[in-house]
Amino acid sequence: MKKTFFAIICIFSFALLAGCANDQYSIERRYWKVQKLAEKIFKNPDASPPRQLDIAVSKLQNFAKRYEKNNLAVDAEFTIPRLYLVKKEYVKGRAALSSLIEKYKKNENLCAEAMFLIGNSYEIQDKWASALGEYKRIIQTYPVTMRGLDVPVYIAQHYKVSYQPDKMLEAYHEAIAHYKALSEKFPNSILAFNADTLVIRIYSEIKNWPAVIISLDSIIEKYKGKVKADTFLLEKALVYSKQLKNNQKAKEALEVLIKDYPDSRLVKPAKKFLADLGGK
Amino acid sequence: MNQQETSVSLVKRVYNNAFQFLRTNSAYFKPFLTLAILEFLVLILLYSAPREPLRALLGPPIKTFWGEKFLHYPLNFILLPKLVSRSFMVLSIVFGSLLSGMAVSIILDIYNKKRVQIFNAFKVAIKRYLSLFGILLIINLGYYFIGKFISVTLIKYFYTGHSKLLFMGPKIWLGIIFIAVNFFMAILIQAIFVYSIPAIIIDNKGFHKSIGKSIVLFFKFFIPTVLLVLLPMLLYIPIIVLSSNYIFLMDKLFPEIVFYVEALSIIFSVLIIDPVVTMSTTLLYLKNKEKG
Repeated sequence: MKKTFFAIICIFSFALLAGCANDQYSIERRYWKVQKLAEKIFKNPDASPPRQLDIAVSKLQNFAKRYEKNNLAVDAEFTIPRLYLVKKEYVKGRAALSSLIEKYKKNENLCAEAMFLIGNSYEIQDKWASALGEYKRIIQTYPVTMRGLDVPVYIAQHYKVSYQPDKMLEAYHEAIAHYKALSEKFPNSILAFNADTLVIRIYSEIKNWPAVIISLDSIIEKYKGKVKADTFLLEKALVYSKQLKNNQKAKEALEVLIKDYPDSRLVKPAKKFLADLGGK
Repeated sequence: MNQQETSVSLVKRVYNNAFQFLRTNSAYFKPFLTLAILEFLVLILLYSAPREPLRALLGPPIKTFWGEKFLHYPLNFILLPKLVSRSFMVLSIVFGSLLSGMAVSIILDIYNKKRVQIFNAFKVAIKRYLSLFGILLIINLGYYFIGKFISVTLIKYFYTGHSKLLFMGPKIWLGIIFIAVNFFMAILIQAIFVYSIPAIIIDNKGFHKSIGKSIVLFFKFFIPTVLLVLLPMLLYIPIIVLSSNYIFLMDKLFPEIVFYVEALSIIFSVLIIDPVVTMSTTLLYLKNKEKG
């Protein structure tokens, strides 16, 4: 009985001691604890005392310093300016973000992200002109990053939300021109495909249906044999049927989908759609 | 009313005997202790799955079936209860069957005032291993599939546009009602098959006959049997409450709470509930046999 009791104690000790290692899992575990401190501030920034911010920032800094080669260190470093921003300490937040841009100048995605947060900080302060300046800087400096690709639409959506339709349309047209230029500059790349897809989204957003059809045809043709076009064909059929009221063209698109992609999961809805349109 | 009083007094008598035996025969606990140690080991293995060296072995299946994110802290604790439950099911069928057989054999020795010998109990149980394995397989699979059937039916019902069932919404049905139904189903399934292992070990019955005998006794002693299974299981309710609030506990306390609750669940179920249920129902079986 004593032996088995001893065995259980040993098993438990093993489990508890496992937490003292320094592997990726232990680092994640330590980061979770630090993150919890920050989470309290994010959840209730106005009620959290300044000391809590200092403690969280200091813990995040220590973590980033101790595990500087770990991916979580970057996350920790970005959490610091985010904390400053929710606590309305914009100057400190922007300073932290600028130093991150300097530190990670070789990593375009991180720089674009930091710059975007700077723009956000101006937006929170209701300084749209300064925010726009930052966003445009992202488009110019980091156009091929995920954030760089996203920002032109973000700008247009800002105008949409703030009820400025003319500026929204202008921003969307600028975005279309930007994406088309990117697609030409980096032909046959994933970036070009994403840019072309965004052009279709924008034309749909501004309800320019003939342009949507042209863009869909162009993307289907351009990426033939490289990318499955079943979703584009279904979208084309929907636009023809619902927006342009041209059921014949919608049927043609659906028939191409069924013929060219017989194994697609969209065949079933396409057949149903075709039947609704009075096709075969 | 009279029948009820008889049932209650029968349960009292069985418990008096059972606790007397439990106090004086520590050897009886050995099979349960073995199972508890096995379950602890499995729990620790699964808890350590995201870390080297176990990650090399357990990482690929976890990644394939549930996703890479469950190999990272704290999401590994979201998956842990599921992994633990499936693994314990296998342990219960493969080892629990044998160890339950040993426990019943030990009770028989205690009841007949013979000297308890673990190795003899092992020999008795291993001879009837296939039947014991079959019984535990039916109990575990029955519990698993009925639970799955209820949850899938409820989910389908609410996903197909129904917002209420018997004036209650999906939150209540898929939350507290599902937990309660699962609990009572576990009691019912266990109560139906609870005499099969004594039938196999004590009366050397085969697989089918032991099930038949168990069902007959279940109906004959319906209230005492349900009470003998239910009363110890009430101790498990706090564990059920804790385990159905894992996300909340992880957020408010720390993710490792899942590990501690699972460990506590082993202590409660294998070291307290199982020995009491096995002892009491086997004693009732023996008393019935004596009368018959």
